[in-house]
Amino acid sequence: MHEMSLMGGVFEVIEKTISQHDIKLVLQVKLKVGELTNADPEALQMVFEAFCKDTICEGAELIIERVPVLGRCRNCQLEFTVKTMFFLCPACQDTNIEVIQGEELLLESLEVE
Amino acid sequence: MESNRREIEVMANLLSANDVQAAVNREHFLKNKCLAINVIGSPGAGKTSLLEKTLPLLTPDMHVGVIEGDIFTSKDADRIAAHGVPVIQINTGGGCHLDSKMVSKAMPAFNWQATDLMIIENVGNLICPGDFDLGEAFKIIVLSIVEGDDKPAKYPVIFRNAKAVVLNKMDLEAYTDVNMENMRKDILAINPDIQIFEVSCRNGDGLKVWTSWLCQEVKAYQQNRD
Repeated sequence: MHEMSLMGGVFEVIEKTISQHDIKLVLQVKLKVGELTNADPEALQMVFEAFCKDTICEGAELIIERVPVLGRCRNCQLEFTVKTMFFLCPACQDTNIEVIQGEELLLESLEVE
Repeated sequence: MESNRREIEVMANLLSANDVQAAVNREHFLKNKCLAINVIGSPGAGKTSLLEKTLPLLTPDMHVGVIEGDIFTSKDADRIAAHGVPVIQINTGGGCHLDSKMVSKAMPAFNWQATDLMIIENVGNLICPGDFDLGEAFKIIVLSIVEGDDKPAKYPVIFRNAKAVVLNKMDLEAYTDVNMENMRKDILAINPDIQIFEVSCRNGDGLKVWTSWLCQEVKAYQQNRD
């Protein structure tokens, strides 16, 4: 359940953002979570509600965008979606694949009023 | 009243607090020419057993320190201390992984002028520790073969990010249905650069090969800093 720690990170960012803007309510929180991370969206939803309680985020909606894993073949430069977590170039069968997307754990944006 | 509803773009990394401290830890290890490794594996894979078998082979040639992560007990640290190696226990109090701040708090307890290798044994868990950088030079996985040959494919994040995997309990191969060919094939499909070591902490097989690789890594790390 390291989603607690991750949500701690979310709220650190939210608090910092609140301190820099005139915000009365947070209505929506958007996260980007790469598929090549171990963060579980359901667990994130659950701890989000717990963190929001009695704050200006109470009742806010958490939107989690899952980011698929994209690889780039270092041999033929082909970019492709890595579906099964086996890192093999579909064109030239090379195994030397650079991950260019899918490791994100980001707070993308806040909708506020 | 007019609604002041608006969107604020943030684009902040959720792990930035951990990553900032991890970078400080990494700098500390670099400055002291100490190779730090993060040892990750499920409960019962044999992480502490591997350390117990590895330490006597390492200590004639180098100074080793150990940071032991555990949820509540000091059982693992006691086992390591019995080998005369400086060890600090971190209890996460229910937490499923170590983070870079916990490691940094344990650091003042060691004599860094006389530490060539710092082994950080993470909490028994193949999932959560994968997302938290501690400042280590690289990650090592300990997987016991009795856990099954499907585990690399089920936990690809950690296999993708480790430098080596130690497959323990090889002495039990004949008593299980594990398919070692599939195991190796899957590990290399996820991470073609990973080093695979097959050992038995129980009968000692393979430990010398693993240990001499680790010694080489320490030397290479220190030479690069000269």
